[in-house]
Amino acid sequence: MKKLKNKIFASFMLLVMMLALAGVISIVEFRWLINSLHGLVEDNYKSIEASKTMLEALEREDSGILLVLLGEMESGRKIFFAADSAFIAALSIAKNNLTEPNENAYIQSIEDNYLLYKNFWNKPLLQTDKEASILWYQNTVHHQFSETKRSINDLMNLNQSSMYENATHLRERSRRAMMPGIVAIISAVIFSFVLHFFINRYFVKPIIDLAMAVKAFRPEDKILRTKINSKDEIKQLEEAINHQLNSIVTK
Amino acid sequence: MKPEIIIKHLGYVLFLNGIFLFISFLISAYLNETSSIPLLYSAFICGIFGLFPVLFVERTENIIFEEGLVIVVLGWFMTCVAGMLPYLMWGGEFTLANAWFESVSGFTTTGATVLNDIEALPKGLLFWRSSTHWIGGIGIIIFVLLILPQSKGARINIFHTEVSDLSKMNFRFRARKIIQILALIYLSLTVLETAFLMMAGMSFFDAVNHSFATVATGGFSTKNLSVAAYDSLTIEIIIMVFMVLSGIHFGIIFNTVSLKSNNIFTSSLVRAFVFVMFVGIIVISIKLYLSGMFSFPNALRYASFQVISLGTTTGFATIDTANWPIFTQIVLIYFTIQCAMTGSTSGGLKFDRVYILFKSIGKQVRLLKHPRGVFVVKINDKPVDEKLEYQTLVFVVLYVVTFFTSTFILTALDVDAMTAFSASIATIGNVGPGFENVSSLGNFSTIPDLGKYVLSGNMFLGRLEIFNILALFSLKN
Repeated sequence: MKKLKNKIFASFMLLVMMLALAGVISIVEFRWLINSLHGLVEDNYKSIEASKTMLEALEREDSGILLVLLGEMESGRKIFFAADSAFIAALSIAKNNLTEPNENAYIQSIEDNYLLYKNFWNKPLLQTDKEASILWYQNTVHHQFSETKRSINDLMNLNQSSMYENATHLRERSRRAMMPGIVAIISAVIFSFVLHFFINRYFVKPIIDLAMAVKAFRPEDKILRTKINSKDEIKQLEEAINHQLNSIVTK
Repeated sequence: MKPEIIIKHLGYVLFLNGIFLFISFLISAYLNETSSIPLLYSAFICGIFGLFPVLFVERTENIIFEEGLVIVVLGWFMTCVAGMLPYLMWGGEFTLANAWFESVSGFTTTGATVLNDIEALPKGLLFWRSSTHWIGGIGIIIFVLLILPQSKGARINIFHTEVSDLSKMNFRFRARKIIQILALIYLSLTVLETAFLMMAGMSFFDAVNHSFATVATGGFSTKNLSVAAYDSLTIEIIIMVFMVLSGIHFGIIFNTVSLKSNNIFTSSLVRAFVFVMFVGIIVISIKLYLSGMFSFPNALRYASFQVISLGTTTGFATIDTANWPIFTQIVLIYFTIQCAMTGSTSGGLKFDRVYILFKSIGKQVRLLKHPRGVFVVKINDKPVDEKLEYQTLVFVVLYVVTFFTSTFILTALDVDAMTAFSASIATIGNVGPGFENVSSLGNFSTIPDLGKYVLSGNMFLGRLEIFNILALFSLKN
């Protein structure tokens, strides 16, 4: 590449490529980040919220059972049927939001435990030996209540730890999205200094030399005394000036 | 001095790094790893800075000594800056200080690491880590002189700065020929070791990485437990043989292969180098056996590997020496100070200097007895130039002053005495592991950031030889 204009153009193109690639990488990484963040909220957070609703519904059902045992038949039944609907709705959300490996088994465990639990209060309690039997509640119902609660907590822990892992991963990726930009900025600054040096050395300095040579020119010299030994536009300029000076001197 | 010539050659250095970064990227991309983009962008940046000066600067006909000196010292520095880019961009355990330390440790073939979990790194990054050893082992500048076009005058002045006078002692060729011999031996040893390790059951990837680290006398492994992870005597023996070969002057290896005199079997230096290691192995084996830590065969196995590993400045490990008796640790520290031979891929003080030092001490003792006598220090029955003898003594003094200064700084940063002392010696000797917190199966992660920069400085001094750095700072223009 002999021409100075080509050299300068190529240099700027390299600079543009450096910045453009950094930009593309950052855009790709940030898009991935946005999608992952969306996934994080959509996937894990949804299951965690469903688990919380199930826990709350379960607690309410437990209160309903206690009310029935104490003889408050109507209000007790009202509470646990409402809670049951809420539980089934939340379970359905969790069922349709399987995002973690083996999450299906966790859901199945909740479903199985809940059915066993529901079996206790679904049958009539009044006028049976279970009416007002705190001992029956303590030994049988509460145990199944705890089992169901444990399986819901397991599902919640699975999603919470996965959410934490993903957040750590996102932090790493956000760093990776930023780093090309930082490296590109620092590299561009260094590149600009080096380019400035080359432009000064191969463009400005020869022009100054040429100007000084023209100033110092005497008619008896015939040609300019310069140290230009490149083959670029500056050399062409020197040759043109020499040609012009020669024609003036010979006239 | 012409800055454009320096910039052009620094560009060559970066371009060469860019090639290895691109190979690492291809590995990463093939395995769909998270390090693909950091490696690709680093390769791209190195490529741009490598090509850009070629646009402007014409072919260089001559390079003066000062330019050669700046190219060599800044070339190493720029290489380490380029080397830390993929680490820094990838993240994980790599903070700025850690990325710089790992890069300098790789290129100077020190092999000290700050990583707690090496196996967590993507394979592309692991390959780049080993490549830094391989590039640094032969010397980045020698690589540039070998691959890229240079005029004769330019080559000679860069070569004479990169290769010390002591290293040139066993070569009787011109610069170009020496560079070719160095490259031929280096490549042959790498290919042979890779083949042997694969035959011993190592995977191709691990074999290449361990060969890079052995032949460069580096010590980076792809496993957290270093060579101990394989628990294979065959692999240990192969690595030991290649560590010894890589610690010997490449000129002597070339002489051996081409059936010339002054070969491995006749060189007094090689004999002394091997003999000292043999004595070290026996002494440590007996002590380990008597202390009841191992049976004698096991003591011999572990002692052999550790002595050869530290004595050749490689730094691989098959056991944690932190729990060994203090006597054995002191003997190992001696090997950390002594280092391997000049003209090999090792850094640090070098065995030849220790040899000349002891011979000079003998000469001085004889001069005390016979003040009018004329005594000469000889290597292979040839007299050593008095100037070289004097240079060696000054070098040893500077070396000791440097590692004591670094020990003081580390202790000022609340690093315990043994860790500070052994880390300083291990880094200036380009060995890698020390004792206590930085023992053979440990790492340098507990050293404060400022300490990591100090130790990185040690690695530079060990690799570039202290005189080159001092000469750079004494340049007036």
